[in-house]
Amino acid sequence: MTANVAPARPVGTTSTAARNPRVLIGGMAGLAVVASVVSLAIGATPIPMSQVFAALVGDRGSEAANIVLDFQLPRVLLCWLVGIGLAVSGGVMQGVVRNPLAAPDIIGVTKGAGVAGMTLSLLFPTLSAALVPPVAFAGGLVGAGLVYLFAYRRGASPVRLALVGIAVSAVFESVIRFLLTKYPLDVNSSLIWLTGSLFGRSMNSVALAAPWILVLVPIVLILARRLDVLGLGDDMAAGLGEPVERTRRILLLLGVALASACVAVSGTIGFVGLIAPHIARRLVGGRNLTSLLAASVVGVLLMLVADTIGRGIAAPLEIPAGLVTAVIGGPYFLYLLVKLGK
Amino acid sequence: MSTRVELTGNRAEPADPRRRVRHRHVVVVAVVALGVLLVGVLWGLSLGSQPIPWSTVLRALFAGDSPDEVIVRVVRMPRVLLATLVGANLAVSGALMQGVTANPLAAPDIMGVNSGAAVVVVAVTTMIPALAGAPSVLLAFVGAAAAGITVMVLAGMGAGRVSPVRLTLAGVTASTLLVSLTQVLVIFRENDAQRVLFWLVGGVNFANWNAVTTVLPWTVLGLAAAMALARAMNLLALGEDMARGLGQNVERTRAVGAAVVIVLSGASVAVAGPIAFVGLIVPHIVRRFVGSSYAVVLPLCVILGAALTVFADIASRFVNPPYEVPSGVVSALIGAPIFIYLARRQKAAL
Repeated sequence: MTANVAPARPVGTTSTAARNPRVLIGGMAGLAVVASVVSLAIGATPIPMSQVFAALVGDRGSEAANIVLDFQLPRVLLCWLVGIGLAVSGGVMQGVVRNPLAAPDIIGVTKGAGVAGMTLSLLFPTLSAALVPPVAFAGGLVGAGLVYLFAYRRGASPVRLALVGIAVSAVFESVIRFLLTKYPLDVNSSLIWLTGSLFGRSMNSVALAAPWILVLVPIVLILARRLDVLGLGDDMAAGLGEPVERTRRILLLLGVALASACVAVSGTIGFVGLIAPHIARRLVGGRNLTSLLAASVVGVLLMLVADTIGRGIAAPLEIPAGLVTAVIGGPYFLYLLVKLGK
Repeated sequence: MSTRVELTGNRAEPADPRRRVRHRHVVVVAVVALGVLLVGVLWGLSLGSQPIPWSTVLRALFAGDSPDEVIVRVVRMPRVLLATLVGANLAVSGALMQGVTANPLAAPDIMGVNSGAAVVVVAVTTMIPALAGAPSVLLAFVGAAAAGITVMVLAGMGAGRVSPVRLTLAGVTASTLLVSLTQVLVIFRENDAQRVLFWLVGGVNFANWNAVTTVLPWTVLGLAAAMALARAMNLLALGEDMARGLGQNVERTRAVGAAVVIVLSGASVAVAGPIAFVGLIVPHIVRRFVGSSYAVVLPLCVILGAALTVFADIASRFVNPPYEVPSGVVSALIGAPIFIYLARRQKAAL
């Protein structure tokens, strides 16, 4: 389990490593791979490492191997997809609105996507699951649009965005709770929508989210340079020939789409999109391409830690990953708040 | 409606709040509010899976042992009473909290007080069987106090006036954290999960006479203490320096105010779960009508807070019959737009 609590460790690494983003990001990626393998072994039935490896090279011979391939592997893969998706989404939003408090869960995207995805799966259970991500995307857009609309008053100030986001999210959460009482699902699938969880997710979910993440994240990374230009300020960016408004809108849409795709498969997981970019910037600083890459690795590590702790700490009981990220992310956000105020 | 919204502690307008009271206005508002509350109470009593005519309801209040009358007395009356008590508690503690912190966005739910109370109640009753017999009200007080103090410290309250935004963000994050912890605890007790989840949204759906008698003494005590504080709170609203200059012990007023907040909101959470937004919005609505003197704001908060919760409870039964939606959901739907309105009025600064 110790390997899984490791994302804190790079903070304390030597200054040489901290100055070299490549080493740092590579190191964290290696750590994430190790954590993934460890995560495969942890669960309701602990599985010896030898059997984990055997399963990974295709040995379907044992009960344990089936557990690894059918139950654990999809979750680990989803941790990667969702961690990358949420972190990149948060990083882009913070860059675009130049607001350290922006994140898919703060500005209403997560809960909006959650309501939409949940409504679809409850009201039209026969429809194809592939519809969930686009519908969640629409919900995320509505959420972000409402927050922006209500927060807009001669510009959308960072703090008003955050305050209005809280209120709009509260409404969406109420709607989710209402749907939960109207259509009592089993407790577990309720918790997936309410708190974010990877419980019971299969390769179908991976296949659902993968195209979105695998297509959108590279696009964002290609656009990262334009995010740098936006960071210079609107006037400077426009002077450099950047179509400011259009770029901003494209990037925001990408951010909303990424977060919504994540919500579609994992429910409303909070704080990852908010804090992963902050941790990344502290670690590697610099240009958006570097910090977005670092943020995605941090996001993956956060998701792996959260999901593995949730699965392992009270096995066979399952604690949703979203609750664990809140317990880890909440204090970090409070720390950020104290620091920002100074 | 020409009275401007007077945000407590807004130093830009240091006018004596007592001057803004217009007595005839207050009487009219009070009478109307009482009428609304009365209608809500009677409506709440007549409403249910089996509608009972108001005439029967009125008779049942005093006597009778027909099935309808028994339903009214045993099932519906505690529920409506509990809604009134909890609503009054939350609204008054919201008003006090906004005064004590000189912050218009303060409220027991925003500042994590409600979720702090909830987490301790759930934690002790599920994890420490030895203490399971402890009165949940006392547990709620402990949690409410701990969470409220932590949030204030985190938001930098020690350094004097703290920006509403910082307080809100710190409080809401702390709330999220505490709610998550509570939900983790719920998962450990799968048998009760549905019920506890329901309680966590807040609502009076599980009311019984036991809950009413649990909260009643604290309500009486807390409301009496709040009224006694009214004058001191008015002085405090003039600004800390002014209050001090007029001979007030500012720290003591704040401490007593905070203690009353904890008693009122802790007791509410213990019986009805953490109901959102009532504590935040009722004081603002009341101030909009009658100005900002606590001598009239607090009593009207009692009436309007009760009315809002009673109607939220009624609405919760209309949304999705025959199922009940937790009234906390309804209060969030009503409260969020008002919160957005208040947030838009804030000068944006962290």
